[in-house]
Amino acid sequence: MRSMRGEASDEELMLRYGRGDSRAFELLYRRHRLPLYRFLLRQLGNAESAEELFQDLWMRVVNSRGRYQPRAKFTSWIYAIAHNRLMDFYRANGRASFLSHEESQFVLEDAPAAEIAADLRLDRKRAVERLLAALGALPDAQREAFLLQQEGEMSIEEIAAATGVGPETAKSRLRYAVAKLRASLGKES
Amino acid sequence: MIERRDEELSHIYRDAEGPRPPQRVDDNILAASQRVAGTVRRPAGFRFSRRWGTPVAIAATVLVTSTLALMVFERQSGVDTVAPPVPRADRPAKVSVPETQRAPQAEKSSPAGKSPPAEIQRAAPAGKSPVAAPPRPEKAPATPEKAPATPEKAPATPEKAPATPGPQAAPRSDKVQQHTVETALSSERRATGQPARAPAIPRGVEILRKSEEVKPAPAAASPQAPVPDAQRVFDAQQRLRAMQAPPAAGAVSEPAATLQGSGVAAPVANRLATPEAKERTPEKWIEDIRKLKTEGKASEAERELAEFKKRYPDYRLPDDLR
Repeated sequence: MRSMRGEASDEELMLRYGRGDSRAFELLYRRHRLPLYRFLLRQLGNAESAEELFQDLWMRVVNSRGRYQPRAKFTSWIYAIAHNRLMDFYRANGRASFLSHEESQFVLEDAPAAEIAADLRLDRKRAVERLLAALGALPDAQREAFLLQQEGEMSIEEIAAATGVGPETAKSRLRYAVAKLRASLGKES
Repeated sequence: MIERRDEELSHIYRDAEGPRPPQRVDDNILAASQRVAGTVRRPAGFRFSRRWGTPVAIAATVLVTSTLALMVFERQSGVDTVAPPVPRADRPAKVSVPETQRAPQAEKSSPAGKSPPAEIQRAAPAGKSPVAAPPRPEKAPATPEKAPATPEKAPATPEKAPATPGPQAAPRSDKVQQHTVETALSSERRATGQPARAPAIPRGVEILRKSEEVKPAPAAASPQAPVPDAQRVFDAQQRLRAMQAPPAAGAVSEPAATLQGSGVAAPVANRLATPEAKERTPEKWIEDIRKLKTEGKASEAERELAEFKKRYPDYRLPDDLR
C-alpha cells in the first residue's frame, strides 16, 4: 500500500537500514513507534515497564538489521518480537494468566444487541474511557489479539503468526475480546 | 455484523488520546540505531586503510625496488672485486709507454717457466713511475687466482709444454696486448668524461680467456702454437672494441686518435685503428711479407717485417723471415 503511494515499504526500509542507512531506520521508527508503544502500554498497564520493553524491542530490531529477511510483513515480525518480550515479562513477573484459556468465563451470547446499540448514544469521551477500562480488564491474550488488530492493523492470520497460535485460536480470542468490549459499552447505557 | 461492530469499536478506540513514548526514549533508540549504522557503513579500519593504503603501497614499492637495485648493484660490485687485476684507468702510463719497449725487455729479463703475472709484477716496480710501482692491495688477492689459471686449468695447452719456448712468451704477449687495449679504453673513457669502470674490460677478456682455457687444446703442440694465441688476443681486442665503442660514422679515425692520445706508439695505434689491421691476421701479414719478397720488393718487405715485429714482438717468425 505504501509502495503504491510511492513510499518505501517497511521491509525495504529495514533492508536499507541493514545496509547502513540510518535514515531508513528513522522512517521506520516514526511509522511504528506510537502503535507499538500503545500496544505495550495497554498490555502492561504500566508506563515504566512499557518504556523499558519498548526500548528493548527497538534495540532488538537494531541488532537484527543484518539478519533480517523479509519473509513476512515487517509488522508481523516486529509484533512477534513484542509478543515474545511480553511473554518473557509475564513469566518474570509471575503473570501466567496469559497462557490460560480464560475465554470460558465469558459467554458471547450474553452480550445483548440492545445494550451494544446503546453505546452509540454515549458521550464520545465517556465511551472511550469505558472502552479503555474494558480493554484493561480483558485477559491478556484477548487484549493482545484486539490490540494487534487495532494497532498493528493485522489480519487473523497475521495475529496468529505473531502470537504463535493457530488462526482459529486467534480468531476466537479476537471474538471474545470484541464481545466483552461491546458488552462493557452497552452495560453503561 | 462483527465486522461492522469492529469498525465502531475501532473508531471509539482511536478517539482515545494516544500515549506517546517519552522523548528521551526516542533519542536513545535513534542514537543507538545511528551509532550501529555508522559502524556498518564504515567498519573499523576502513577509513585508515582508505586514507593510508595508497601511500603505504607506494612506499613499499619504492622500498622493494631500491632494495633490489642495491642488491643487484652489490652483486655486480662483488663480481667486479673478484675480477682479475687490471691497470687502473688513472695509471695509463704504466702500460701504454712500455708497449713497444717493456714487453721485449721483460721477455729478455724473465727466466723461462715463470708465470706471466709474476713477471709482470716484477717488471712493474723495476719499470717506471712510482705511481705504478706500489702494489694494489685490493687487487692483490685476485692475482693468485689468475696466476694458476693458465697453467693449471688447461694442462694440455701449449703454454704448459716445456719443450717449446714459444708458449711461455705467448701469455705474456697476450697480457701486454690486453693491457694496451685496456689502458687505451680507460684513457678513452677519461677523455670522454665517463667514469673509469676498470672491471668492465677485464671481465670480458677474462671470460674470453677462461672460456678458451677450458677448451681442449687443439693439436697445437707445434712450434706454431703461439699463433692461435695472438689471433685470439687480436680477436678479443676486436670484440672488446666493438663492445665498448660501437662503430659509427668516422669510427676509423677516432680509435687511432684515442690510442695515440693514450700514449700508444703512433704506428701501432694507426695499425690497430685501420681496417686493414682489423682484418689482417699475423698469418696473413706473414703471407703478405712473403709475397712482397717473392715479388722482389725487398725494401717494402723489410719495412713490413719491421712493422710486424713491432706489432707482434713476441711472435715467432718463420725461419725464412728471420
